[in-house]
Amino acid sequence: MYMKIIKIILQIIFLYGILLLGDGIARLVHLPIPGSIIGLVLLFTALQLHIVKLEWVDLGAGLLTGELLLFFVPSAVGVVQYDQILGVIGVKLVAVIVLSTIVVMACTGLVADSVQKRGAKKA
Amino acid sequence: MSLIGLISFIGTIIIFLLSKKVYKKMNWIILSPLLICPLIIIAILLITHTSYSDYNSGATWLSKLLGPATVAFAVPIYKNFPLLKKHAKAIGLSLVTGSAVAIISSFLFAMWIGLSNDMVNSLVPRSITTPIAMDISEIIGGEPTMTAVFVIVTGLTGSIIGPLVIKYIRIRTSAAKGLLLGMGAHGCGTSKAFEIGELEGTYSSLAMIVAALISIVLSDTFFPVLQHYLVG
Repeated sequence: MYMKIIKIILQIIFLYGILLLGDGIARLVHLPIPGSIIGLVLLFTALQLHIVKLEWVDLGAGLLTGELLLFFVPSAVGVVQYDQILGVIGVKLVAVIVLSTIVVMACTGLVADSVQKRGAKKA
Repeated sequence: MSLIGLISFIGTIIIFLLSKKVYKKMNWIILSPLLICPLIIIAILLITHTSYSDYNSGATWLSKLLGPATVAFAVPIYKNFPLLKKHAKAIGLSLVTGSAVAIISSFLFAMWIGLSNDMVNSLVPRSITTPIAMDISEIIGGEPTMTAVFVIVTGLTGSIIGPLVIKYIRIRTSAAKGLLLGMGAHGCGTSKAFEIGELEGTYSSLAMIVAALISIVLSDTFFPVLQHYLVG
């Protein structure tokens, strides 16, 4: 049990290290891509090339991706600071966000579904 | 870390875990931990007269974990890479469509209800992950902090609406379910997708990342053209 917790913490520190590496690269070559995405590509490449073994990151990554919503909570609490969101404009804004999100999700899903169905027919 | 910061940090984790337990038990979509947990914390802050900055002095360490968590999505993508490669066409086409629709629909809906220009520009990048959304907002003339708020509102509404969209337009494949959640509601949608299944979650992780990259390109090329023709 304790061993597992220590393993998870070490793996999260390791993932944090990759993030810092990604941040460094983004700053160094002035990429408009954030360090976290560069870090993701680095880790993926390292896994593919077997430079990093899956066991080195699996537990920590599982915890971080599994509890992702927790990391959004402080920002969600922070919405209270913006009273604009709460007024009349707020209602309109939320309406735009809800409508637009429905349209985006429906289009994405329908395109993905139809491309796959067509692929399945051909096969 | 101050005492209040430490309490905020640990308290947020405890309230989150409790909210998750309640959500699992009731299985009621509106009880999403992302809605209930912040509401409980806001209520506690109001009752105890604690300011957001005091709360966030500790809770911000949780927000900081979003960085390594994004890196960690390399793991599910690595594990399912052969499958993702096989469906590369569906993934690419649906995400380019989704990104373009995200930009156009935010723009049109926002103009339709008469929002100011900088408000519109802050709204456009809201369906992608926070750090990139804030960068894009800056580039196209929005207000990055405002965008961060829209991103979280989108995540919250998206994770609640997503399953309804899947149900009502009868989305059948795991790929499509995952892709629409990741495209429409970034990490929050991805978390929802992992609730549906490992495969849906993986597609959603990939959608979240690829959508962010596509949006960077579109906001630099497609958006200025749209802006030019619609605003004049």
